[in-house]
Amino acid sequence: MGTTASAYLTGFGRYLPGDPVDNDGIVARLGGDDPVTARIRGMILEQNGIRQRHYALDDDGEPTELNEELAVKALRAALDDRGIRPDDLRMLATATTIGDVLVPGFASMVHGRLGGGPMQLLSASGVCASSLQALDAAVSKVKLGEHPRVAVVGSELASRSLRQRRFDGIRAGMDSHFLRWMLSDGAGAVVVEFQPHPGRPSLRVDWVRHVSLAHEHDVCMRAGMDGIEPEIGRTWQDVRIGDAEASGMFVLRQDVSVLDDLAGAGLREFEQLVDIGLVDVSHLDHVVCHYSTNAFRDLAFDGLRKRIPTLDTDRWFSNLETCGNTGAASIFIALEEAWRTGRFAPGETILLAVPESGRFSFAFAHLTVVAPPDQQGAST
Amino acid sequence: MTTDTTTPAPAEAETTTTDASGAASPDGPAALSDRLADVWVELEERLDRVPILRALDEGTVTIDDYRRLLFNLRQQVVDGSPWISRAASNFDIDHFTLRAAAIKHAEEEHRDYLMLERDYVAIGGSLDELRAGRKNLGSEALSGYMFTYADRPNPVGLLGAMFIIEGLGAKRAAGWAARFQEVLGLADNQVHFMQYHQEADGAHTGDLEAILDSGIIDDAAADEIVRCAEVVARLYALQLEELDH
Repeated sequence: MGTTASAYLTGFGRYLPGDPVDNDGIVARLGGDDPVTARIRGMILEQNGIRQRHYALDDDGEPTELNEELAVKALRAALDDRGIRPDDLRMLATATTIGDVLVPGFASMVHGRLGGGPMQLLSASGVCASSLQALDAAVSKVKLGEHPRVAVVGSELASRSLRQRRFDGIRAGMDSHFLRWMLSDGAGAVVVEFQPHPGRPSLRVDWVRHVSLAHEHDVCMRAGMDGIEPEIGRTWQDVRIGDAEASGMFVLRQDVSVLDDLAGAGLREFEQLVDIGLVDVSHLDHVVCHYSTNAFRDLAFDGLRKRIPTLDTDRWFSNLETCGNTGAASIFIALEEAWRTGRFAPGETILLAVPESGRFSFAFAHLTVVAPPDQQGAST
Repeated sequence: MTTDTTTPAPAEAETTTTDASGAASPDGPAALSDRLADVWVELEERLDRVPILRALDEGTVTIDDYRRLLFNLRQQVVDGSPWISRAASNFDIDHFTLRAAAIKHAEEEHRDYLMLERDYVAIGGSLDELRAGRKNLGSEALSGYMFTYADRPNPVGLLGAMFIIEGLGAKRAAGWAARFQEVLGLADNQVHFMQYHQEADGAHTGDLEAILDSGIIDDAAADEIVRCAEVVARLYALQLEELDH
């Protein structure tokens, strides 16, 4: 086994389109002002605890930006934060649930808009955990010494599929309402390098782990299929587009009845990280956890506290309530804010945790805050 | 200055030295290796005072230092195979062994700079800038000396140059690579050039020792070899001292 380099997060950026939209401003953008929908919306908003979010939609609900534009703006913010240019990148890894176009891949579109020189691309697709899958690829290439600098972005523009026109005339149960009043738009990005930032602290990526339990779970969050079993000749690509729309295939749905199972499975994966020693609970200082609603915050928090009795709310960070649930972008949007607002000090450790309901997968990353090289003292 | 050959040579070949039993002086080879060892010791003492190597030893070396080192070395490394080739072309048939060794060595080394260039890119350097670079003062002197010396007929003294350059590769480069990795947290993919030279130059110094010990070096050749080693040792250190100048 050869020697590998380390990988450090040295730049952080995010982009949230438009002004924040409070709970009263949702209807103007997404529609759904009938009494039944209003009642369901009120109930779901109370559950998820989101007070404001951002949509790339104008006051009338018309799109203002492309998903790839959100990604590029977050990337530019991260590059500016690090003080480098797109030309300095050798790889770009992107994560999104649904890009703007079917073909080509999202990373190609983002690279085209971002500019810079020739670079390796990865388009991670999936749902919330895809951003840490993209990070994993970036970190691996940096550790192998193959790329000195990589940018990773998670970006979502879910709002356009949450508008009323998608819901007109279709059966919309809790499986679609739950997401409709929860998801919103945004992008978060990080710069990964083989050396720490020369002049300020960086976050060393100790490891990234991703595990899927799709072998023992049915589909939970979905679009483009009818029901939870894909059938030959019955996906959105097989039937007439009008028929696919009429049957609600283009509506994002989630089987809310299994979400408790998802939380339980996520906690078991966390326990396993503790049991194999990847997480040392006596030296874990911060947890940045993605969850879709505050109902799961409490489940996750209580579960983690079983193994980390000293975990208190000060060491737990989420900005779900103010930034909304931005899917694959969430974890970077939260990390950026935690970083920018000075929550981390050199020597401290951070666990990133992202459960994904799609078909039950979980991603974790462990970070350590390191001081800039000139404050570390010489190694011997 | 003459050498024996192990190949069929023309009958009129000049052979003031012959085989081991008839070597120019009984203690000739031993004396030569002692003299070269003295040059090596002096070189090591000088290297200990070279700023970048001192910083490497002390653990204060930076990634920019490593980048500068690769940048500076590259400008001279690209000349390595050409001067060896030129030397090869100047060995007459009486020096067939040395000609053969030089041709083989030049072939083995002529792609080495590509490894260095990959390392440079892997730590974030620009290939275009690297290739547009110029030699530093020490590299100019070293390269100029090597090409001039290689132009002589039968430039046997260059065995002394090889003793220094291959010795640095075999005995020091891997240590430098390991220390750069340790201090800067570099992957193997970023220190190929220095790591590789431990193996490759180890083999080359083995070949060199075989030639030096073979009894084909007479006293005059030995003097040339030692002098060439002294000059190359000084100029190689100068190359490391004069980074970017």
